[in-house]
Amino acid sequence: MTEKEQEPRLFSLSRIWTIALNTLTESLRQKVYLILILFALVLIASASFFSQFGLGEPGEQEAMEQLKFMKDFCLGAIAVFGMLIAIVGTAQLLPNELENRTIYTILAKPVRRCEFLLGKYVGSALLLLVSVAIMSLMFAAALKFKGDNYLRLIRGAAGPQESSVEWEQMQRQVERIRATVYDTDLAKALLLAYLKLALLAGITLFVSTFGTSIIFNVAVTVMIFFAGHLVGAAKERWLESGVAQFLFSLIPDLGMFNVADDVILGNAIPWLYVLQVAAYGMVYLVAVLAAAVCVFAEREV
Amino acid sequence: MRRRVGRQRRESLIGSAFGFEMDAIRTEHLTKKYNLGWGRGRLLALDGLNLRIRPGEVYGLLGPNGSGKSTTLKLILNLVWPTSGTAWIFDVPCTRVASRRHVGYLPENPYFYRYLTGAETLEFYGKLCGLRGASLRRRIDELLELVGLARARDRRLAGYSKGMLQRIGLAQALIHDPELLLLDEPTAGVDPIGSRDIRDLILRLKQMGKTVLLSSHLLSQVQDVCDRIGILNLGRKILEGEVVPLVRDQRRLCFTVQDLPPHGREAVEAAVVAAGGRIVSVEHPQTSLETLFLEALGRDERGAGEHD
Repeated sequence: MTEKEQEPRLFSLSRIWTIALNTLTESLRQKVYLILILFALVLIASASFFSQFGLGEPGEQEAMEQLKFMKDFCLGAIAVFGMLIAIVGTAQLLPNELENRTIYTILAKPVRRCEFLLGKYVGSALLLLVSVAIMSLMFAAALKFKGDNYLRLIRGAAGPQESSVEWEQMQRQVERIRATVYDTDLAKALLLAYLKLALLAGITLFVSTFGTSIIFNVAVTVMIFFAGHLVGAAKERWLESGVAQFLFSLIPDLGMFNVADDVILGNAIPWLYVLQVAAYGMVYLVAVLAAAVCVFAEREV
Repeated sequence: MRRRVGRQRRESLIGSAFGFEMDAIRTEHLTKKYNLGWGRGRLLALDGLNLRIRPGEVYGLLGPNGSGKSTTLKLILNLVWPTSGTAWIFDVPCTRVASRRHVGYLPENPYFYRYLTGAETLEFYGKLCGLRGASLRRRIDELLELVGLARARDRRLAGYSKGMLQRIGLAQALIHDPELLLLDEPTAGVDPIGSRDIRDLILRLKQMGKTVLLSSHLLSQVQDVCDRIGILNLGRKILEGEVVPLVRDQRRLCFTVQDLPPHGREAVEAAVVAAGGRIVSVEHPQTSLETLFLEALGRDERGAGEHD
């Protein structure tokens, strides 16, 4: 027997992946998530439905307003349902493992505690990825359907045999609506929304390594969530105090991830900003997972 | 650190060459105090336990509830940490992940992932142990057959009975063919047939040369399967020894005689007294309720079979 066989490697990606897929399967088979996703889909559908009532003349102004409203509503719905899945879904992972004693059977195998914890996190992040991807695809499909509807109405109102001046004006309207529908900045907003949720799941898991119940985990994480949205403004308010700046920097600045308003107003979002925020999220996530691993290593199960 | 492990390994190899056998489990002064929190002091769950379990042995840990049986198993598996003392599995300190490579564990009253089927459960645990592909699938089929769950393989565990959960628990403990099994109350809450099956399974594992450490408070079963027992009370080991000599009553002797006529009995009694013995009791042996129960069920199933 060689020394290499004596002790398994520091950690094994395949064991992490096994635990992650198990976590994902477990979550997907609990109908709660399907209901949440379904509920989000219903909201998205209703967003495109009740804006139909506001439609008087199929003018460009009207169409742009409706499309903006729909984006606003759907991005908001994705953020809220994503947040519910991230917090509630992750907060119950460790308490359930302890309650069902499944954690004993896993840690009694040659599995490291950090592998177990990271596996649980990856499972959560995968669940969020699946949920956000499904909601985003439905959102994109609804937006395209709605946009195409307006384009047909505007083209139909103009008619084929109009004079060239009106034709060009109509073409410009069509272009503006197409730009609103096929807006690549939407993808950036959704990407940042996902990163924010993935970070939130990491924070929730960290809280649950020392939390004693699901309700505690949810409550603390929700408080961090709100603090994370206020901290950006607070930092600007107390610019001169070094201590305050240090304390604020411990709280994740979740407000940075929210670019939905800019997207809706049509303000361009530079890739540099997306990368900066993504890098901030990654650094914070690695730190919070490292803290979670350290706390969990000291916890008796 | 690596170098130290290597030296330990060599020492144990040298040890076995000279005829000292490596212990399957060894604990030295294993002590566990649980903090009760908020100034309520500490609970002494286990008090200086010394245990040596030889390879191939079935060892029963007995004791009332709260005597430290489960704590002992958890300490050996490094699920909780000792306040003082140390434990080794096959001479590897239990704080090392490698010590758990040859161990299977069945916790008390196990619940597994309710949403997985029996086969998926075994697949999950098999993968954690590094099994893959065709060999894993073969192993799953073998184990489901062994514990009698082949027909329930594609049912979710949410629909399993207590006895079935216990059996799938045994199967997951066996998935990587470990040398050592730690079974915490393996027959708790299982009906007599199920517990007889589990008892037979433990005996079969023993024939295969596995080492088993089980905890129980069902004394008759322990007597049937264990080579040695230790009795714990309030965290302290108060008795230990081989089962057969421990329970043998050296002063008494029991004959079981069949078809003896009445005058024969008088002659036997007279002979006993003449030889200096004293008759304590003469009675008809009773069949156990368990035998009666199993026979009745056996008859019923045969009857049902004839109707089909």
